[in-house]
Amino acid sequence: MRGKNNNDAKGIGLPREDTLFLPDFCGVRTVFVVVVSAQLLAFLVLLARMDQATDPWGELGLVSLFVQWVALSSAALLCIARPLLRRLGNVGAGLASYGLVLLATLAVSELAYWIMGGISLGSEPVVAGHAGFLARNLAIGAIVGAVALRYLYVQHRWRRNLEAEARARFQALQARIRPHFLFNSMNTIASLTRSRPDLAETAVEDLADLFRAALGDGREQVSLAEELEFGRRYLNIERLRLGERLTVDWDDVDALPQDIMLPALTLQPLLENAVYHGIAPLPEGGTVQVSGRCDHGMLTLAVSNPIPSEPGAASSRGNRMALENIRQRLEAVYGNRARLTTETTANQYRVIMSIPCGTGWT
Amino acid sequence: MRIMIVDDEAPARMRLRRLIEELGEYQVVGEAANGREALLRYGELNPDILLMDIRMPGMDGLEAAKHLSALPDPPAVIFTTAYSDHALAAFEAHAVGYLLKPVRKERLDEALKAVRRLTRSQVESVHAQEGRARSHICAYVRGNLQLIPVSRIRYFQADQKYVTVRFPEGRVLIEESLKALEEEFGDSFIRIHRNALVACAYVTGLEKTAEGSCQVRLQDIPEPLEVSRRHVAAVRRKFKELAI
Repeated sequence: MRGKNNNDAKGIGLPREDTLFLPDFCGVRTVFVVVVSAQLLAFLVLLARMDQATDPWGELGLVSLFVQWVALSSAALLCIARPLLRRLGNVGAGLASYGLVLLATLAVSELAYWIMGGISLGSEPVVAGHAGFLARNLAIGAIVGAVALRYLYVQHRWRRNLEAEARARFQALQARIRPHFLFNSMNTIASLTRSRPDLAETAVEDLADLFRAALGDGREQVSLAEELEFGRRYLNIERLRLGERLTVDWDDVDALPQDIMLPALTLQPLLENAVYHGIAPLPEGGTVQVSGRCDHGMLTLAVSNPIPSEPGAASSRGNRMALENIRQRLEAVYGNRARLTTETTANQYRVIMSIPCGTGWT
Repeated sequence: MRIMIVDDEAPARMRLRRLIEELGEYQVVGEAANGREALLRYGELNPDILLMDIRMPGMDGLEAAKHLSALPDPPAVIFTTAYSDHALAAFEAHAVGYLLKPVRKERLDEALKAVRRLTRSQVESVHAQEGRARSHICAYVRGNLQLIPVSRIRYFQADQKYVTVRFPEGRVLIEESLKALEEEFGDSFIRIHRNALVACAYVTGLEKTAEGSCQVRLQDIPEPLEVSRRHVAAVRRKFKELAI
């Protein structure tokens, strides 16, 4: 179970690993499912001819034995052939595994015929003709095998869709720096290139770093130190634009354990929100305050900003959307162990983000 | 041609000023950091053209343009914006000039050569599409422009052709319809009479008069306002809601 989950998680980065639609038949869990399904099939076969059975329990034993043999030998063949099947692609692997299942059915039936031929149960012989026995078993094997393979294929596709959807959503959420910010920054840089080339150069560097992170440089997790650096770079650019109107108070974030890993761009959007909804609408500007603490295995970061006296309806909707976005990303990574809450006082708006830190999560 | 630059970002103003100076044929007469400041300096600077950012704190560019377009001799306005948001579709639809930031010198030149005066209906239709209420009411008192923050207004009262805007410091007359005001400010004002809208936030009491009619008292305003029989129930309900 554990191994399988790890594999799934890695699948986000390495989709090639999991392209085969067949589950791993060497795994305990899959074998168990095979055994249970085979037993159900045995019950089904017996129920279908209950009225002809003279000794139902004895027959259940025989049928079960037979079906389990077919099922387990099929599973064994599929387990051994897995590296080969993986190279065939899904269509080839489907046909090949179907062939393997039929082969196992045929082999076990043949074996059973020779063993059972010697014994007789009750007055009737257990098996009638050799060819009839083989044909009947092959037909059952063909139908059940086809249904099972189809089921596995559909389930695989469904799981792949889910994964792809989650991945796409994660990426879409990450590349979410406001376009306004990009164009405003470009404008600021254009203004500074002649008057203050040094500042323009730094701004270009900061902007490049931010967009590298936003457009996804392949890493989904960064250290707290890096995330704080993103935040500083972002605020540097905004300070060029807003001038004296923007002041930032970094409380004690440097005292936090800097190597905690967190999803990239989780703090930066909170800062962006604070500037966009708290500072930019105020003609006289204000202070964005960032504070953090780390205790009881939780890292808590809080960003607060002044509330403009006349909040526009549109901007608060934008704020909710941005928060919802971060909330979804935190949920994708931490499940329900992360929290994002907001507090509003008379003149301050505060967003508090708590994520598990330390070794308790992967 | 006299140009005024309105933008809340100093680097943006600086750049526009430089570009205009490079073009040579124009004179930058002044700058303002938001719509409100632009309106207040407008009379003194008397520009022919305003280059105005759309998104600004205090009062945005659209609202400032709306107030300007109501002047007897309105200036031309070219909007500037960093990002082509939905508002620009409305600008195009109503032939309102705009420039995308960072502004190119050639574009600026073209826009300045092609400037046209905004008509009131143009700005109003753009503003209506935005669906936002104004932050200020603009009135002309003996030729001077007066801006009253909507958040200070206690009531609007219609009288024949004009509407009286009442705030603690006094009152001004504007030429707008009470119906349009009700639509625009319906979130914070309530109709209490065929001729009056009051600011919900400033109502201090509802009382019965000796004649049996109902009136409201407003904070910092000595005169009570009559609530018509038709509106009594709705007004009571509203204040019960607000009291909770």
